[in-house]
Amino acid sequence: MTIENTEELLLNMGPQHPSMHGLFRMVVNLEGETVTKIEPKIGYLHRGMEKLAESRTYAQFIPYTDRLDYLASPHNNWAYVQTVEKLMGVEIPERAEYLRVIFGELARIASHQVCIASTALDMAGWSAWSYAFRDRERICDMYEMTAGSRLTVNIMRIGGIIEPPAEFWPALKSFLDDTPEMLDEYNGIFFGNEIAQGRLKSVGILTKELAENLSITGPVLRASGVNYDVRKAEPYSIYDRFDFNVPVRYGCDSYDRTIIRMDEIVESIKIIKQAVRDIPEGPVMAKVPKVIKPPVGEVYHRVENPKGELGFYIVSDGTTKPARVRIRPATFINLQMLPIVSLGWKIQDVVAIFATLDAVLGEVDK
Amino acid sequence: MDVALERQLREDESLMEKNFLVTNLDNLLNWARGHSFWPVTLGLACCAIEMMATGGPRYDISRFGWEVFRASPRQADVMIVAGTCTRKMAPLLRRIYDQMPEPKWVIAMGSCANAGGPFVDSYSMLAGVDKVVPVDVYIPGCPPRPESLLYGLLQLQYKVSNPAKVRLMKHGK
Amino acid sequence: MENKVLKEQVEKLATSVNGEVEEILGELVLKVQASNIIETLKGAKSFPNFPCDFLHDLCGMDLVDHLETVYQLSSLRGPQRLRVKAIIDRENPVIDSVTSIWQGSNFLEREAYDMFGIKFKGHPNLKRIYMWDDFEGYPLRKDYVTEPIEVRNIVRTRIEGE
Repeated sequence: MTIENTEELLLNMGPQHPSMHGLFRMVVNLEGETVTKIEPKIGYLHRGMEKLAESRTYAQFIPYTDRLDYLASPHNNWAYVQTVEKLMGVEIPERAEYLRVIFGELARIASHQVCIASTALDMAGWSAWSYAFRDRERICDMYEMTAGSRLTVNIMRIGGIIEPPAEFWPALKSFLDDTPEMLDEYNGIFFGNEIAQGRLKSVGILTKELAENLSITGPVLRASGVNYDVRKAEPYSIYDRFDFNVPVRYGCDSYDRTIIRMDEIVESIKIIKQAVRDIPEGPVMAKVPKVIKPPVGEVYHRVENPKGELGFYIVSDGTTKPARVRIRPATFINLQMLPIVSLGWKIQDVVAIFATLDAVLGEVDK
Repeated sequence: MDVALERQLREDESLMEKNFLVTNLDNLLNWARGHSFWPVTLGLACCAIEMMATGGPRYDISRFGWEVFRASPRQADVMIVAGTCTRKMAPLLRRIYDQMPEPKWVIAMGSCANAGGPFVDSYSMLAGVDKVVPVDVYIPGCPPRPESLLYGLLQLQYKVSNPAKVRLMKHGK
Repeated sequence: MENKVLKEQVEKLATSVNGEVEEILGELVLKVQASNIIETLKGAKSFPNFPCDFLHDLCGMDLVDHLETVYQLSSLRGPQRLRVKAIIDRENPVIDSVTSIWQGSNFLEREAYDMFGIKFKGHPNLKRIYMWDDFEGYPLRKDYVTEPIEVRNIVRTRIEGE
């Protein structure tokens, strides 16, 4: 019996679904199992942070920025605090800069571990998920020693950072000593696995011109062959003193988007080792007035989040509360590639492509 | 969908049960239910990551018997609402609750699900998930540690296994 | 120095579109009226030695007597940066869409429409993106009053197709 004609199926992959990325909904038009159109629908986690910022003072808003990209919360704090410092013209001490770099790069390693874990989980690879979460717990312990919280740390202040206690440094050293074995384990369990390779190689090609036109940033852009990293293009903090490479891959497919995060973990470890070697003694907070009132003006500042470029645009009118805080979310703009890149692939490839985008819905929906 | 009426109906039902002598089978069933919850994955925001970490290797939720996180609500017992519930998501949350078969329980995890959290005066927020579904256990924290989540689940286990004692503690009759 | 060359080019562009140039905290800001925005952005994208061809961000702003859209431009291949502001009338906020120049402004313009009510002419799919479809009002405007908590706690019924 032959099939006479097939109709198009409208499938709703609703806000609550097994993959652990958050409240993301897609309405997919399917022809058999092949995708013909995708419409992403977001906004189920929209908390109105930009409006809340107008009724909080500058220092009161720092914990809110934690909840944007909750897997790498020091980076969000860092972006906001540096923007306010630029607006006020505050110079922060050397030891604080080095500590900020150490915590930032630790957050980058933790975030990439969760990305690898979620990609593996979406393809039902439970072992890789367990290994990555076990290793992430060590980083969470280090945060807990310093700031008291495991996930949303609120570790940066306007003018400096918190001083970690004495038991932080041996814990960091033992973590850095165990990293080569950790990376070998991930390579063995996940990246060397031929099922993972078969599901990710040559799936979802994102060309270089399309990526630039769509304003994509971060590892997704670097896996398509463009060498652009905010840490090298416009160095903020003290990144111009460290010796590290920017990993770039030219394959433009999902496998490259995932394995480039492993390369970035290697580079982060290099940076942390250099920072630990060079850190000076001294104070960790600059002299900042008790009531923070920046002069009238506006500034746009950006940092390299593990997911892309996170930018803050703050307009101040001279009072203690900002007039406008605009958050440029990295993943919101990267999400625009999903409807274009997944045309013609099967429904299970769409799940894999979305996993390599590493979307955190707290940042997409603000 | 009136939440207060539903709570009243539940209390009346359990009061009615008290007047029947089915003690031994009742105890066995409650023990079995309490020791094998099947949670439905309703991780909304940051608390979901702590829920995942509870299921991870260090704070192993499997030693209590609760590691079977079902994706479909039709196969689940407990709904752990972890994270911020916005006004756009509220009707969908109620829909998932309605799809779960009886007996079912709800745990509100994190301060956003308890009472709105730090975002309570935003234009798009629901002040707590108990405006939508009847909640059994509230777990405070932002986000609560995995040990807090395990303690909350143990409290729910106690509530399920000893419904008479819990009612006595709550109402004193 | 490349800053001076960029400044001259920006000033030349400003005179051709009736805009004004300022420098705030080390960054060049170009203000134009809403009707000239496509010409300005195409001009900025094709500066001879320092093209500003990467769009970082597009956001709306509510200054009490008018609305504005702010475009942050820079380049992947050089250090040049530019901020372009388009002044929009508050009574009738309409401006041309830039999706023909950069495809990445699709979601950003939908967000500006959702939060401020700025209508973008020529956008392929201008619908609300963060709030639900029959939400009334534009939240980020300064004259939007957040409803009291009793009203917000009423759970709305689900629309078909959601």
